[in-house]
Amino acid sequence: MIGKILLGYDGSGSADLALDFATGLACRFGSELHVLAVARPLEVGDDVETLAVVENSRHRYEQLLRGVREKLANESIKTEFNVVVGHPAEQLVRYAEAHQIDHIVVGHRGHTLFERWLIGSVARQVIAYAHCAVTVVRDRGA
Amino acid sequence: MPMTEIWTQATLWIALAVIAALLAIGLRIATALSEIVVGILAQLLIGVVFGSALLAGDASWLKFLAGAGAILLTFLAGAELDPAVFRKEWKQATLIGLVSFAAPFLGCAAIARWALGWSVEASWLAGIAMSTTSVAVVYAVMLEFGLNATYYGKVVLAACFITDLATVIGLGLLFAPFTIKTLVFLGVGAASFLVLPWLTPRFFRRFGNRPSELEAKFLMLWLFGLGALATWAGSEAVLPAYILGMVLAGSVGKDHALIRRLRTLTFGLLTPFYFIRAGSLVSLPALVAAPAAFLVLLGAKLVSKIAGVYPVTRFLRSPRQEGMYTTLLMSTGLTFGTISALFGLSHEIVDQAQYSALVAAVIGSAVLPTLVANAFFLPRHLLTTIPEEKP
Repeated sequence: MIGKILLGYDGSGSADLALDFATGLACRFGSELHVLAVARPLEVGDDVETLAVVENSRHRYEQLLRGVREKLANESIKTEFNVVVGHPAEQLVRYAEAHQIDHIVVGHRGHTLFERWLIGSVARQVIAYAHCAVTVVRDRGA
Repeated sequence: MPMTEIWTQATLWIALAVIAALLAIGLRIATALSEIVVGILAQLLIGVVFGSALLAGDASWLKFLAGAGAILLTFLAGAELDPAVFRKEWKQATLIGLVSFAAPFLGCAAIARWALGWSVEASWLAGIAMSTTSVAVVYAVMLEFGLNATYYGKVVLAACFITDLATVIGLGLLFAPFTIKTLVFLGVGAASFLVLPWLTPRFFRRFGNRPSELEAKFLMLWLFGLGALATWAGSEAVLPAYILGMVLAGSVGKDHALIRRLRTLTFGLLTPFYFIRAGSLVSLPALVAAPAAFLVLLGAKLVSKIAGVYPVTRFLRSPRQEGMYTTLLMSTGLTFGTISALFGLSHEIVDQAQYSALVAAVIGSAVLPTLVANAFFLPRHLLTTIPEEKP
């Protein structure tokens, strides 16, 4: 039984594939689908710009989630949408624990070498720290 | 100077700004940081190949754009203040903010004077350049942990403004000659800071929100006017700019559309000239030849910030991990650190080798604490079942 599914969404191709997978899973098990987008601050920030980046990123994700909400409007599943700020893996795991999520679905895509060195893959970190089952949907075209 | 030469130089500088922006996007770092680094490398490479005159960092048009960038950026930094929170928590915030300023200020000045043998004035400047923090970086951390709405988060954020305010006041007044001009500047400044919070919203309501962008012109009128008065009095233009930002935070700061337009003007045209110029004045050979000053200053800043701020975060009952994370993030401060160092160079308080060490330490203090914080102190306080193996 999967009561609650959490989808990490960033608007990428692999995130769209993960959305389709999570929606299918939620329909099949009658689960609640939580969609979480994480606005990331700069790795090395500075005055004014950091705030601008967070604001822009939040605004962009709110628009993206509006699109997802419309896409899921005809599905007979209960949905919840949220935008938070921080490191994606940490925020996903934190949200999952706070909302008693049973299954996390994330996309997997390429990162720059610097990002990989600095934080590692989001999917890898979620798998390592999540308290529940995790499905990683890979975009083979990426 | 013929216009063809100016356009050619402008093209070169904007090309460097584009490269810096691409670098910043790729590495997810502050554009200011990449602009300084691009400035350092450009001066070195272009200087070797074509001669150092090609960049023409001392051209008056370029210095104006760079100076205007520093003023507007400082104004925007001040305008991020939340006046309601500040009014409520000002006592605690002032205490923490002053500790966060005084510990690195005194610590780094002492190290510069007695360990590096710098002059008294150069040592004070080093203390100021190393005392800064970055409100926006700390704010992003607070958002991340949902602390921005808590008492702890509000106090720490308000304290960051006090730290930066102390830095700009120190920069504006410590090296001022204190003549009758200083009194005129302080008097006119104080009157402006009292009148403008009343006048500005009324003026904007009556004449604003038109394609002529009167709001931006009105703000620049005051910023440039007070900046001119400050430099006439032997002070620094960013001092009135930051205070003006703070006193207008309740009106201008809340107008998100106006702030976005000012950011476009500032980041799009002005600050690239400021930060690339700041980088181009760094002497990499001098830095490589004597790296001790840079390393000593960076170490002194980190140690003194931790010694000053960490106990206060614990006093405010912040968990150990979060306390250290916040402390490390409060150790960043690229904008005001660079502004202070460049002030020192342009007023001949520090020489080029000292300036290079200061800028390198400022860059180091923007990068190193963030890396250490994210690697070792990212508060995984909810992740009580972290597995032993590395991901």
